[in-house]
Amino acid sequence: MRILFAGDEHPYSAFALKELTRLAMNTWADVTLLGVQAAGASPGPVAPALNLALNRYRETFLNSWEGEDSPYTMANWQYEWNPVKEHLWEERLVCKSGKKDFRVRLRTGNPAAAILNEAREDGSDLIILGCTGGGECLWAGTAGVPQRVAADADCSVLLVKEEQPISRILACLDQTYISQESLEILNQMVTMHQAELEVIGVNPEGGLKKEVYTRLIEIGDYYQDRTIKINTRITEIADLDSLIAAEGRQDLLALWMGKKSILSRFFPRDWIGRLVAQGRTSVLVMR
Amino acid sequence: MAQNKLKILILDDEPIVCKRLKPSLEKQGFEVDTFTRSFEALQAVQNTKYDIIITDLKMEGMDGMRFLQEAKKLHPSSEIIVITGFATMETAKESFKKGVFDFIAKPFNLSEIQRVVMRAEAKIVGTRG
Repeated sequence: MRILFAGDEHPYSAFALKELTRLAMNTWADVTLLGVQAAGASPGPVAPALNLALNRYRETFLNSWEGEDSPYTMANWQYEWNPVKEHLWEERLVCKSGKKDFRVRLRTGNPAAAILNEAREDGSDLIILGCTGGGECLWAGTAGVPQRVAADADCSVLLVKEEQPISRILACLDQTYISQESLEILNQMVTMHQAELEVIGVNPEGGLKKEVYTRLIEIGDYYQDRTIKINTRITEIADLDSLIAAEGRQDLLALWMGKKSILSRFFPRDWIGRLVAQGRTSVLVMR
Repeated sequence: MAQNKLKILILDDEPIVCKRLKPSLEKQGFEVDTFTRSFEALQAVQNTKYDIIITDLKMEGMDGMRFLQEAKKLHPSSEIIVITGFATMETAKESFKKGVFDFIAKPFNLSEIQRVVMRAEAKIVGTRG
């Protein structure tokens, strides 16, 4: 698994880093920490505040393991060619992590585009980022970044708004197609939080969609076969807003996103952004 | 030549995982057998020496941890790659204690597992000299 963590210098990024660390401790994923700044924001390669934050995240992450247990212990020394400026390269001795990749990167430009490009080019399986609570969802002082990342990413996205223990995952299912990758991300989250899993079939207006109901039963069987406690229920699409509003502080709202989602017809304009903004604590968008 | 192909066994109770991995590894030039039941995979290991074994952990019947132990007992030089959808720090640590080559949490993309298999292949070929 490859995880991309997008961090800025605000406190929610530290909360998101905790989620990254816990997940990485379980999964031994390849990890990239990404900072984004506006082009020309700093005369140096990275603005001081962001540099400080990235240093802190790197040290916090790497120091979370006890010595030999870390798959990220720097162990491999090798010479590598690095660009100095156009037409000039320099060979430098670099040290890389032993068992799994760990990198810190910086991109410049539009934050959402930078995060999405990094995830695509790196083949990330999951993007983790924090943002301000409530409906505003600011990242690096910019509104709408988490919504755009959640809406446009090719992979799953975990958005962390507050530091809260997760005791229940509410997964909303409104379509028949569920990718293997999305189930696997959900499995890792259930395992990491030792959380209860509740899968809610979202029923469109005008009667029960049989395929969604069948899929709900299949998912129930899948988890029961793996001895994971699961509850399933069905809610009307009109009741989805109130269901999300009633979400507890220790709930993680998980949304299966696909091209055939009935939610996209019900909430045609920026429906992912709307649901991401409504989530109280953390939101997982699964693909 | 066909007889020089390294043999890979894949054990995962989810058929979709076997279905995805088999053609991609065959394309890389390996001979691949897939199993969705651990007891059947164990029988295969008793009859055939696989160079590389890719196994899931959480399965009905014999789990992947026990399977890899049995496989290592029979063929200590087989390189084992663990893939798991329910990863914990304990299973990662235990896997390495038991001598696995690598531990990969799901989801993973094909290039990730291809790279790990190529590293295992390089180790095997290097050991043979």
